[in-house]
Amino acid sequence: MGTIGNLDDPRLCYDYENREHGTVEPDTKRARFQWVSEVAYKNVHRIISRGYDTTELVEQGYSLADIIFIDFQSRIPLIEEEKMLNYVMILALDDGLSSPAAISRIISSSQTLLTQAAGASILAFGHAYGAFEAFGKMLDEYLAMSEEQGKTTEEIAELLVKEHLNDEFLGVSSLMLKDPAAKRMFARAEKLGVAGKYIAFTREIIKAAQKISEEPVDLDMLGAMGATMMDLGFSSEATWAILAVTRAFAGGAHFCEEMEREPFERFGQRLTPKGLYDGPEDRSVPSLAERKKFAAAEQYKTPEEWKRGSEKKQKMKGTGWAIVEDIADPRTMKK
Amino acid sequence: MNREPLLKRKTAISYKTEEKTVLRGYNLSDLAEEGYTFCDALFVLFQERLPTENEEKMLEYETAEFLEHSMSPSAAGAIAVISGRPHLPAAIAGAVMTFGSAHGPGAAHGYMMHRYIERAREEGKSLEEMGKILVDEYLDAGLPVMGLGQPQHTDGDPRAEPTHIKHEQLGVSGVYLELQRSIEKHFNERRKKEGKSFVAVNMIGAGNTALAELGFSPNAAWCIGCVCRGFSCAAHALYSMKKGHAWAASKREPMVQMLDLSMIKYIGPEDRPVPSQEERQEYAKKQKEEGEYKKWAL
Repeated sequence: MGTIGNLDDPRLCYDYENREHGTVEPDTKRARFQWVSEVAYKNVHRIISRGYDTTELVEQGYSLADIIFIDFQSRIPLIEEEKMLNYVMILALDDGLSSPAAISRIISSSQTLLTQAAGASILAFGHAYGAFEAFGKMLDEYLAMSEEQGKTTEEIAELLVKEHLNDEFLGVSSLMLKDPAAKRMFARAEKLGVAGKYIAFTREIIKAAQKISEEPVDLDMLGAMGATMMDLGFSSEATWAILAVTRAFAGGAHFCEEMEREPFERFGQRLTPKGLYDGPEDRSVPSLAERKKFAAAEQYKTPEEWKRGSEKKQKMKGTGWAIVEDIADPRTMKK
Repeated sequence: MNREPLLKRKTAISYKTEEKTVLRGYNLSDLAEEGYTFCDALFVLFQERLPTENEEKMLEYETAEFLEHSMSPSAAGAIAVISGRPHLPAAIAGAVMTFGSAHGPGAAHGYMMHRYIERAREEGKSLEEMGKILVDEYLDAGLPVMGLGQPQHTDGDPRAEPTHIKHEQLGVSGVYLELQRSIEKHFNERRKKEGKSFVAVNMIGAGNTALAELGFSPNAAWCIGCVCRGFSCAAHALYSMKKGHAWAASKREPMVQMLDLSMIKYIGPEDRPVPSQEERQEYAKKQKEEGEYKKWAL
C-alpha cells in the first residue's frame, strides 16, 4: 500500500504509517470504572437516596416534593418548605400555549412516543424562556458583589438594574402587571416563613427597575419562582432543572391533546409561501462545466478582508454570522 | 412584546390571559393558595378533576417512590449527555427520552390492561380468568408479559409489592389491581409448572396499575412516571457536572473513567486498507457481490 493522501507529510508530528491498530488494553493499574454518585445507589433489595431508603420514605408518608429536597439538597425539608415547593410547582405546571407546549405538540404531530415530546419540551428552557439559571446566577453574582464591596443591597440592585434592565432573565418586566400570581407567591413565602435573602433582594430589584424603567414593570413569574426556589435552598441550576421538569408534565398533556384533536403531519406536507421568502431572487443553476464562471472563493487573507466579509455575511439571514453568543463552560461557573 | 400563542390551537387544557393562568377551569394561583399539592394539580391537568385525599396520597406515594432509581438507563443517559457539557436541560431531556418499550414501558402496560379488561367485559369473563388468558396468550406467542421482573432487583423490586399494598390500604383499588394480581398469580403458576423460578411484580406492574386505577390514561400515567424520573436524573447530571470531569475520559483520575479508551471492546471487521479512488469501483463491486458486509449491516 503506497502513501495515502497527505499522511506522509513531514509536517505531521507522527509517523502515521507505523501507528498501532487495535483497541487499548484494559487498564489494570487504576480502579475499574464504577458509577460514582453522591446522590443515590441501589442494590438488589434497596434504593437509597442521600442515605434514605426511598421505600421507607414513602411508607413514612414523605411526598414527591420532599424527595426532590432530598435528592437535590440531601435534607428533609421543613413542612413549610415542602408546602412552598408544592406551591411553586403548581404555578410552574402550566403556561398556556408557550414554547414547551408548542414543542411537545409539534413532536406529537409526527406520531412519536410521549417520552420524546415531554423530554423535548424541557429543551425549551434556556437563558430567555425559563431562564432560572441565568436569573439565579445574576442574583448570586450581585449579592456577592454587595458583600465584597460593602455596598447595601439597595445600591447593588440599582447597579444590577442599570446593567440588566432589558434582559429576559431580570425577573422584573411588564408581563404580570394585571396578574397577581407572582406577588402572591412572595406573600405566601413570607407567610410561611421561608422567604430569605433572595426574595428580599428581588424586592430591591423591583424598586430599582420601577425607578428607571420607562414603562410600568413589576415582579414576573420568573423572578417570583426563581427567588423563592433559591430561598428554599435550591441552586440556580437545580431550580432551572426542577421547574423545567415540572413544566414537562403539562407537555405530556399537550402531546395527548395534539394527538387526540389534530391530524398527523407528513414529510413534505407543509408549503412555505413565497411571500414569506426574502432571500436571493430565483436564479438558474449553472451546469457543472460553467461552475468556474459562477463560483468565487471566499477565503480572506487579512483580518481587514475577514471583517468586510463577515459584515457582508451578517446580512444573509440564516447563516449564523449575525449571532454573537457566549457558550459558557459550566466548568468555569461559580460554585 | 408578542404575546400571541406560538401555535394556534383549540385547547381544553389551559388558557392564559394578562390576569391569570387557568388550568381546566381552575386559576393556578388560587389552587396553590388553597394549599393543594402538585399531585392534586396533576389530577386537574390530566383528568379535569380534584382527587380525593386518598387518591392524592396514592399519587404522592407512587411519584415519590419512582422519582429516584440510581443507575438506570435514564440516569446513565443524563450522565452521558452532560459529559459533553451542553445546557443542563439537554441532559434531562435525554434522560426522559430513554423511556421506551423496555425501560418503564408504562403506556404499553396500560394499553395491555385496557385490551384485556375490555375483553373480560365482551366475553363475560372475570378479571381473574382474563389474567390467565393474558398470560397464556403472551407466553404462547413468545411475548414478555409487561410488569413482571426487573433486571437489577432480581429478588423483586423493593418498591413494587409495597405499592400494591398501599394501593389496597388506601381503598383505591379496582379492576386494574384485580387484573394485575391475577396476571402475577397465573404467570408464576405457569412458571412453576415449567420448573422455572418465581418472578415478582416490578414498578410498571405495581406503579402503573396504581396510576391507571387513579384514572390516568396510559399516556398520562407514562408521562407522570417518566417525567417524574427527570427530577432525579437532573440531580445525577448536576452532580456529574459540578463534581465530575467533563468528557469522562481523564487519565488523571484514580479510577478508569466511563469513556476511557480501555473501555472499548471492538468486535467488528478486522482493520483493512482503504482502497484508492482508482481501485474503488472494482473493490466496491466485489464487496457487494461477496455479501460479507451483510453480516455487519445494521
